[in-house]
Amino acid sequence: MNKISENCINCPAHNISNLKKLGIDMSSFDYVVALAGNPNTGKSTVFNYLTGLKQHTGNWPGKTVTRAEGAFEYNGKKFKLVDLPGTYSLLSTSVDEEVARDFILFGQPDVTVIVIDATRVERNLNLVLQILEITDRVVICLNLIDEARRNQIEVDHRTLSKELGVPVIPASARQGEGMDELLKYIYEVAVGSYICKPNRLRSRSKELNEAIEKLTEMIKEVFPNLPNTRWVALRLLEGDQNIIDAVRNGELGNINLSKIVEIEKEAAY
Amino acid sequence: MNEMMNKRESIIAEANRLRWELGENFHDTLMQNIYEHATEIEKKAVKYPDAKEVFSFDRTLDKILTSKFLGFPIMFLMLGVVFWLTIQGANYPSGLLSNLLVDTIHPALKTFALNFDLPWWLSGVLIDGAYLAMAWVVSVMLPPMAIFFPLYTLLEDFGYLPRVAFNLDPLYKKVGAHGRQALTMAMGFGCNAAGVIATRVIDSPRERLIAIITNNFSLCNGRWPTQILIATVFIGSAVPAYLAGIVSAAAVVFIALLGIAFSLIVSWFLSRTLLKGEASAFSLELPPYRPPRIFQTLYTSLIDRTIFVLWRAVVFAIPAGMLIWLVANVSIDGISIANHFIQYVNPIAFVFGLNGVIFLAYIIAIPANEIVIPTILMLTVANLGIQGVGAGSGVMFELESASDVATILQSGGWTLLTAINLMLFSLLHNPCSTTIFTIYKETKSWKWTLVSTFLPIAMGLTVTFFVTQIWRLLTN
Amino acid sequence: MNEAMLLLFIGILFLLFIAILFYPEKGLLEIFKKSRYANQKVLLEDALKFLYDCEYNNIPCTLNSIAGNLNISADTAAEIVSKLQNMGLLNANRDFLLLTSEGKSYALRIIRVHRLYEKFLADETSMNEKEWHKAAEEVEHKLSDEEVNKLAAQIGNPVFDPHGDPIPTSKGEIPEKAGKHLNEMEPGEMATIIHIEDEPHTIYSQIVAEGLYAGMQVRMIESNEKRVKFEANGEECILSPLIAKSITVGPIKLEKPVEGKLKTLSSLKVGEKGIVLGIAKSLRGQQRRRLMDLGIVPGTEIEAELESISGDPVAYRVRGTTVALRKNQSEKIYLVKEEEKN
Repeated sequence: MNKISENCINCPAHNISNLKKLGIDMSSFDYVVALAGNPNTGKSTVFNYLTGLKQHTGNWPGKTVTRAEGAFEYNGKKFKLVDLPGTYSLLSTSVDEEVARDFILFGQPDVTVIVIDATRVERNLNLVLQILEITDRVVICLNLIDEARRNQIEVDHRTLSKELGVPVIPASARQGEGMDELLKYIYEVAVGSYICKPNRLRSRSKELNEAIEKLTEMIKEVFPNLPNTRWVALRLLEGDQNIIDAVRNGELGNINLSKIVEIEKEAAY
Repeated sequence: MNEMMNKRESIIAEANRLRWELGENFHDTLMQNIYEHATEIEKKAVKYPDAKEVFSFDRTLDKILTSKFLGFPIMFLMLGVVFWLTIQGANYPSGLLSNLLVDTIHPALKTFALNFDLPWWLSGVLIDGAYLAMAWVVSVMLPPMAIFFPLYTLLEDFGYLPRVAFNLDPLYKKVGAHGRQALTMAMGFGCNAAGVIATRVIDSPRERLIAIITNNFSLCNGRWPTQILIATVFIGSAVPAYLAGIVSAAAVVFIALLGIAFSLIVSWFLSRTLLKGEASAFSLELPPYRPPRIFQTLYTSLIDRTIFVLWRAVVFAIPAGMLIWLVANVSIDGISIANHFIQYVNPIAFVFGLNGVIFLAYIIAIPANEIVIPTILMLTVANLGIQGVGAGSGVMFELESASDVATILQSGGWTLLTAINLMLFSLLHNPCSTTIFTIYKETKSWKWTLVSTFLPIAMGLTVTFFVTQIWRLLTN
Repeated sequence: MNEAMLLLFIGILFLLFIAILFYPEKGLLEIFKKSRYANQKVLLEDALKFLYDCEYNNIPCTLNSIAGNLNISADTAAEIVSKLQNMGLLNANRDFLLLTSEGKSYALRIIRVHRLYEKFLADETSMNEKEWHKAAEEVEHKLSDEEVNKLAAQIGNPVFDPHGDPIPTSKGEIPEKAGKHLNEMEPGEMATIIHIEDEPHTIYSQIVAEGLYAGMQVRMIESNEKRVKFEANGEECILSPLIAKSITVGPIKLEKPVEGKLKTLSSLKVGEKGIVLGIAKSLRGQQRRRLMDLGIVPGTEIEAELESISGDPVAYRVRGTTVALRKNQSEKIYLVKEEEKN
C-alpha cells in the first residue's frame, strides 16, 4: 500500500486533485466542451467520470438517447460538458447526427472531445476525420485502452496524434486511467496554449474536388471569416437544410448564440 | 445588401447544379475517401496480434449463446431465473417492510391522530388514504425492483441484450418490424416509458412507431406485483405446495411470453395496415463482452432505476390513496361513490369475466399500474362490507398471507376465470399516464398516442371476452 | 341456446364488421377514401404532368394520347384541355398542345412533389418498390408547398428520385435531359442505367422483376428489333425492344467497370472472407448510409462470423467490429471472395 502511494506523488494522477466535479451545477462557465464519439465507446463513462454524475451506462450501442449536460472545474476554470448523442458519422440524415453536427458547427464549443474505441480505431477514425473538418479544437480520448491491451492490440497514440494533428490521450475511463492527462489537454486547448493542426480530408475523385473547390471559393467571397468553408461546401452538396438556411439568411457569417439556444431546446427532449 | 443576398442565393443555386452534375454517387465516393484515409492512418498507428486466437473467448461465447439448440433455451432460462430470483427473493423483505410500515407505523399514526383529535375525515384521507397507499407501494415494489434491476443491468452491461436481439430478429423481420425492436422491448420489461424513449435507436420512422405502439406489451415493472400475486394466489395454490413457487414463476413467464407474442402479432398487423411497409434492413452491432462491474452496477441500478421508479410510484400513490379513500367513504343516497360505480358497471364487466371493482381499480390506477392490486382489495372489502379484515372500509392494507387475499377475493365472487382474465387484462390495457405522455413527446402526434392508448384496451377486452365466453361454454 | 354461445356469436360478428370496415385496400373505409380521390383537380394536374413529360421527351402530344394516358374518354380530355387553356396554362392549336411558362412551372411543381415523395418512400419507409408510384400519384395532389419543402429538407434535399430522374428545385429548375434508351446502345458498349420509366406499370414491374435498377452497370451484347441482349452486373439479361425503351442509360461515372459474375456478401459461409466491391443501388437512403457509416465501403475486408438460429441475420466482422445484417441487405453487397490459403 505504502509503496503505491509513494510512487504516486510524482505520477500525473496527482494532478487530478485539481478536478472538481460539479455535477449539474452549470452556473457561469468559462468554456464549453462537447463530448462526441461512436456509440458504445464509453462516452457516458467519461462523462460520468468528469462530472461526477451517474448517467446510466450499458453495453449496447445507442443506449444513451437523451443528451446530458454536466459541469466540472479544473485549474480554477469552469467547464460545461455536453454529451452529444453517439453517432457513427455526421454525414447522414438522422436526428441524432443532426444534433451532434449542428452543435459542433453552430454551437462552437471551445473544445470537442472525441472518445474513440482503441480496439476499433479504423471505424472510429471515420467520425474523427469528419469532425476535424468542422473544428480544429479537438482532443481525442483513446478509450478502452485496457481492452485493447487484453486483446494484444497495440495503438501508438503518438503516431496517431501526429497523423491527425491533435492530441490523443490513451485512457480507460472505467478505471480512471488517463483522465488527468485528458483534463490537462482539454484545458490547454481551451485556453489556447495548445494549437491543433488537424489533418484535413483529401479526395481522390477529380470531379468531387473540383466541385468542392468551386463552391469553397464562392463561399469564401461571401463569408471571408469562416474557418471551415470546405465543410460548408460539403454539406451544401449533401443538401443539408440547416446549412442552406444559414447561407440564405447570412447567419453563417456571424454564427451567434441564439442558434445554440435553439439547438439546445430542440435537443432537450 | 441586395447584392450580398444574390450572391448567397447563387451559392445555393450553384450547389444544386453541381449536385446534378456529380450524380447520386457523391455520398458514396465521399465515404469511401474518408475510409481510405482512415485505413491509411490506422495502418501506421495500430498493430494487431498475428493470430485471431485472442478473440476466441467472445467468439466461443457467441457461438453458444446464439446456437441453434442452445440459443433459445438459454434465453428462456435466463428470463426464468431472473423472475424466479425476483419472486422468491422479494418475499421475505416484502413481509418485513409491510410489518414495519403497515402493521407498526400505521397504527402508531392512528393513535397519534386520535391523541391530537384530528377530525376523522382528515386522518382518513391522510393516514388511511395517502400514507397507506405509499406504504403498500414501497413494501411491494421496492424488494422486487431492488433485485430485478441489478440483475437486469448485469446482463445489459455484460453485452447480452444485443445477442437477444440477434436471436429474435427473424421473428421481427417476419412481422415487418425492426430488429432493434427486441432491444426496446427488453427495456420495456423495466419500464415502458424508458422503452419508448429507447426506440430512438430505430432509424426508420415507420418501424419506430411500431416499436412505440407495441412497447406496452412488455410486461413492465409496475404490473409484475399484480401478475405475481394473482399467480401465487390462484395458480400456485392449485398445485402442491413444493411446486407453487416454480409454477407461479412459470405462469408469470408465460404471461411475459404472451406479451412478446402479442407485440409480434400487433407489429405484423400494423405493418400490413396502418403502417404499411416491408421490413427494412437493419444493422446491429454486437459489442464485445465486458466483465460487468458488480458494485458499480448495484449502485447505478439502485439510484438510476429503482429509486427513480419507486419515487414515481410513491408520488402517484399518494393522491390515488386519497382518492380511493374518498370514493369509498363519500356517500350519495347512503351508498358510496365507489359502490355506485361498481353496481353500474358490474353487468358489463361480467361479459368480460371481470367485475366492476377491477374496472374502477384500473381507472384509479392510470397514473401508476403498481396500485392496481391494493385498490382492488380495498374496494372489494368496502363493497362487501367485510368486517374484521384489514383496517376497515376504504383503507388500503397489507394482508398477512396470500391465503387472506384468496379469501377476500373469493368472497368477492372471484373464480379462477376472474384471476386469469385479470392477468390478461393487466397485460393488455392502456399504458400508464407517464408512458402515454412519453409517447406523445416522442411521436408528437395525438393520433398515434391515441392508437397506442386504446389499441391495447380494445385487445384486452376482445381477448378477455372470448376467453370468458369459451370458458363458460366449456364449463357449463 | 345458452347465453355464452349467443355472446360468442355476437362477438365474432362484431369482429367481422370491424374487419370489413378497416380491411387494408378492400375495406369500406379505403374504398370511401379512394372514391374521393378521383376529382377534377386531380385530372387537370395529371394532364399537365403528362403534357410536360411529352415536351421533355420531345414526343408530340395529342388529345387522344392524353385520353389514353389518363384513362378517360376523348370528350373529357377535350374538356380538360379547354379548361387548362382558360386557366392560361396551355396553348392549344389544331396541331399541337404546348404548355405556357405558367403551365410548365405548375407541372414542375407537381413533378417535384411526385419525385420527392417517391424518394421519401424509397429511402425512409421500406415500402415495396412497386407501390411507390401509386402512393406518390395520390400525394402529389395533396401536399402544400410548405409541406413539400419540409419533406425535402427532412430527407436531405435530394436531387434525384429513385428511378434516376432529376427532382426539380423549389424554384422549378431542372437539368437538361441526358442519356439515351437502352436499345440504342452499340454492342460492346458499357453504360450506367440512369433512369427507369415507371409508367406503364406492367412494363415497369417486368423491369423490376428482372432485378434492374438505376445505377446498375450494363454491357450491350446485341440489340435488334426482336430482342435486346445485355449484361447487367455480370448477369445476362434479355428484354424486348419495347421494354428496353423504358430504360435510359448514361455514361459510366466515378465507378470502375465491374467485370465477371459478382459474389454477394450473403454467399459467404461462416469463416469465409471477402473484399467489398460495392453496394447495390437498390439499397437506398438511410440503410445505405448506415452500412457505409459502419465501414462497409469498396475495399473493406469483411468476414462472416456468426450465423443466427435461422441463418438470418448473419453477423459479419468488419473493421474490428461485429455487425449483424439481415439477408435482404447482405445479398445487395457485392464482393470478391478471398481464396482459401490451403
